[in-house]
Amino acid sequence: MPDDEPSLNIPSLLTLAVVSFFVIRWFFKRDGESGTSGSRGRTRGNIVDPAQVEQISQMFPQLSTRDIMWDLQRNGGNVAATTERILTGRGLDTPPPSFQPLVAIPPTGVPAQPAPATKSDGQDLITRYNLAGKVVEGSEAEPAGKPSGWSQNKEERQRLLQKRRDDMILAARRKMMQKEQGGAQ
Amino acid sequence: MSSMTQNRLFREYKTLSENPPDGITAGPVSEDDMFHWEALIQGPEGTPYEGGVFAAELKFPKDYPLSPPTMKFVGGGVWHPNVYPNGTVCISILHPPGDDPNHYEHASERWSPIQSVEKILISVMSMLAEPNDESPANVEAAKMWRERRSEYEKKVREEVRKGLGL
Repeated sequence: MPDDEPSLNIPSLLTLAVVSFFVIRWFFKRDGESGTSGSRGRTRGNIVDPAQVEQISQMFPQLSTRDIMWDLQRNGGNVAATTERILTGRGLDTPPPSFQPLVAIPPTGVPAQPAPATKSDGQDLITRYNLAGKVVEGSEAEPAGKPSGWSQNKEERQRLLQKRRDDMILAARRKMMQKEQGGAQ
Repeated sequence: MSSMTQNRLFREYKTLSENPPDGITAGPVSEDDMFHWEALIQGPEGTPYEGGVFAAELKFPKDYPLSPPTMKFVGGGVWHPNVYPNGTVCISILHPPGDDPNHYEHASERWSPIQSVEKILISVMSMLAEPNDESPANVEAAKMWRERRSEYEKKVREEVRKGLGL
């Protein structure tokens, strides 16, 4: 009876080998296909989550977001797999030029938060506080009176502070321009 | 401790909003983080800084008001003997009483919990008008201020215009 066991196992081992062969072949084939066209990944709905791209991008700022998106799209949004791939030194493949990342749209209809003012050096106040639009439209507007500065509402307070700040910069700019025009004449 | 600090900062924010001193606007960048403020200071009249607006960030320590905040001009910084080239402001009110890196400040001029953001900003405004030549933070600027005043004033005026995007 003990002699029978190995012989019984041979067919099952063979089955396993055959199944594994097909599974592995399927895997490689899938990889190859998406590697050439990328369309397979897209049709299967592999949408890249910007949060995941951001997460990896923060860990490895030297990598291009396009490469990260390409890898995430191909592995179905597996951050761990992409991270592992980078850490083991295999690096990320460069996507084909035709690759158009499908980026998931935030679930709410609210527009994305505006990027906080960048703090780079040598920046003027108009750029820093995004006042370029107001410089043009408000060029002949009179400076508003000091708006009352406090509100019980947090958002309102924030808005009032921003307004006082913007007014202060725009008024200074207007005054400086007037002075210069006066000086030139 | 931290909530006491936040309450105090919130009260200071309220006072500064309701009764802002002339030429000063200050408040937290976002109320979610009361320890990080941004301030605008107008250049004092009768100085080369006149007409300008200078933005600075204030970072408060967790034990404020026991310890003072730090203040740093942002953007292009400010050309001034008491402002480091990276924008950090160096004046006595921002130094805790126990620590006098310059060995000339009177304890009464230095930081103590009875000071406030408002007093700091007003002090910085008068610092712009009257540089303190002892122990400068920006040696180049101090030298220019002492020896080549008209060049100093010209440079400041140019930076004022640039700061306003002109």
